Amino acid sequence: MAEYRKIYGLGAQFESAAALMKAAEKIRDAGFSKWDVHTPFPVHGMDKAMGLGKSWLSTPVLIGGAIGTLTATLLTFIPSWGIYPMIVHGKPFNWATLPAFFPIMFELTVLFSAFTTVFALLIMNQLPKWYHPVFNWERFSRVTDDGFFIVVEARDAKFSETKTRALLEEVGGSHVTLIHD
Amino acid sequence: MSDHSHEITPPEPEKFDAKHLGGLQQILLGAAVGGIGVSAIGFFVARQQFAFSWLFAFAYFFTIACGALFWTSLQHATDSEWSVLVRRQMENLTRVLPWFALLFLPLLVCAPFLWKWWNLQPGDDALLDAKSGYLNQTFFYCRAAGYFFFLWWVSSTLAKRSIAQDADGAAKHTYVMRKFGIGGIVVVALSISFAGFDWLMGLDYHWFSTMWGVYLFAGAAGSSMSLLVLVITWLKSKGYLKTVNNEHYHIMGKFMLAFTIFWAYIGFSQYMLIWYANIPEETIYFRIRNTESWWYFSQFLVIGRFFLPFPVLLMQATKKTKYINYVAVWILLMQLLDVYVIVLPALHPTGFSPSMFDLFSFIGIGGLMGWLFLRNLVKSNLFPMRDPRLLGSIKLSN
Repeated sequence: MAEYRKIYGLGAQFESAAALMKAAEKIRDAGFSKWDVHTPFPVHGMDKAMGLGKSWLSTPVLIGGAIGTLTATLLTFIPSWGIYPMIVHGKPFNWATLPAFFPIMFELTVLFSAFTTVFALLIMNQLPKWYHPVFNWERFSRVTDDGFFIVVEARDAKFSETKTRALLEEVGGSHVTLIHD
Repeated sequence: MSDHSHEITPPEPEKFDAKHLGGLQQILLGAAVGGIGVSAIGFFVARQQFAFSWLFAFAYFFTIACGALFWTSLQHATDSEWSVLVRRQMENLTRVLPWFALLFLPLLVCAPFLWKWWNLQPGDDALLDAKSGYLNQTFFYCRAAGYFFFLWWVSSTLAKRSIAQDADGAAKHTYVMRKFGIGGIVVVALSISFAGFDWLMGLDYHWFSTMWGVYLFAGAAGSSMSLLVLVITWLKSKGYLKTVNNEHYHIMGKFMLAFTIFWAYIGFSQYMLIWYANIPEETIYFRIRNTESWWYFSQFLVIGRFFLPFPVLLMQATKKTKYINYVAVWILLMQLLDVYVIVLPALHPTGFSPSMFDLFSFIGIGGLMGWLFLRNLVKSNLFPMRDPRLLGSIKLSN
């Protein structure tokens, strides 16, 4: 008896980036939301073809940058004004020393924004991830070479093994395959 | 990259219909004649004030035109696809550059009033003697001729090749323009740096700043991009360039943001190093501009050129809507303030002292440049209609 394995979704291969783009527009218009395209290289305009909208990455980066500025401000002002006032290079230790602290504020803003970008990106993409069901599909290994793929996940409310298969074939997909988890 | 080219048909050629100008050309020509006329009176009755006012207006429009040449060159050097639809307007902005050679002549006549080193003899000032290999009249004339020659050569070649391609569609123009684009970046960088050293830093020959050329360039590139945004919006409001959409505005807005940050970065670096080192011959520049009523101008410049536009431009919504035009107007005004604070305190170190010649020089040179721009605008197609990258620009997405 075959081992029971959950269905992850349906995968289809496409001829080119252009064919994939057109197919993506149709899958988008069919109202699917839990699906993805896989290509060997970035395809400009794919976000629009998939109906992804604006990424929300900018919000965490802004918050990270603001925290960086604040950290630098406190890091420089607390010692200079409060706990360890000292004249360095003949510069005063009141607010007029501000220009000397700008480079630190700038650097920490950039550093914190960069860290937030990297880590928010990893979280948004659910990385690192040691296992993904699409690699159970042998043909999918060509995604790093010359393969263009669409994978519609079974957890999408509109998913139907027969209807989605028909749709993927209709939009030009070949080798439509059921992928198991 | 996208493969939708089969869905897009090349747009029809568009020529600017002179009837859409209304009386704009006459108004600008009138402003030019009136402004330069009043300034000419100043030349005879208040020559020193006239010289500084003229230099202020000259530097403002010259830096913006140089910035336009930088942008044109950059598009060719990087084989840019996005910019093809708007590139003809960059080229039109650069076509006024050779005329600055003519407007430079009054400054040469007034040189002894502007540049204190002009009439000093060897032995008068040890600091000048040390710099006399560079700061001497012969070399000064040669350099000025050099700036105008190279700026004319690059700008006219890029514009003429681009227009020639409208007629024959030959790809060889693109290759030649790429070469001139790469050289053009060097020409703009050297011209704006050394012209800035000669004409603006030279107002006080004791003073020096290695950031000076980059500082002027940063302001010029940002304000030039702002002017381009306004020109494109104006053309769109007349019903032209319908294929330019908010994706193009988004990219232009990103450049405005980038150069807002870059201006602040360079401006602050220049300030902080001088402030920290605290050497009198360096700090004198900021001492004049941070005391008396100039203090308000300097503070307002810092806030207005960076802290106000920065958060506004940071939002994608600003760059993709009509608000980008308001920011563009604001940046052009701040560039005006920047150049004013560079030039006029050298004449009035005791504080702000407005003169009608500041205004009339600005109106005169601005009117003349606007008129020359419109004269070129109606002559050619509004975008490079047979550029090999035109379709890529139309279907732009970013």
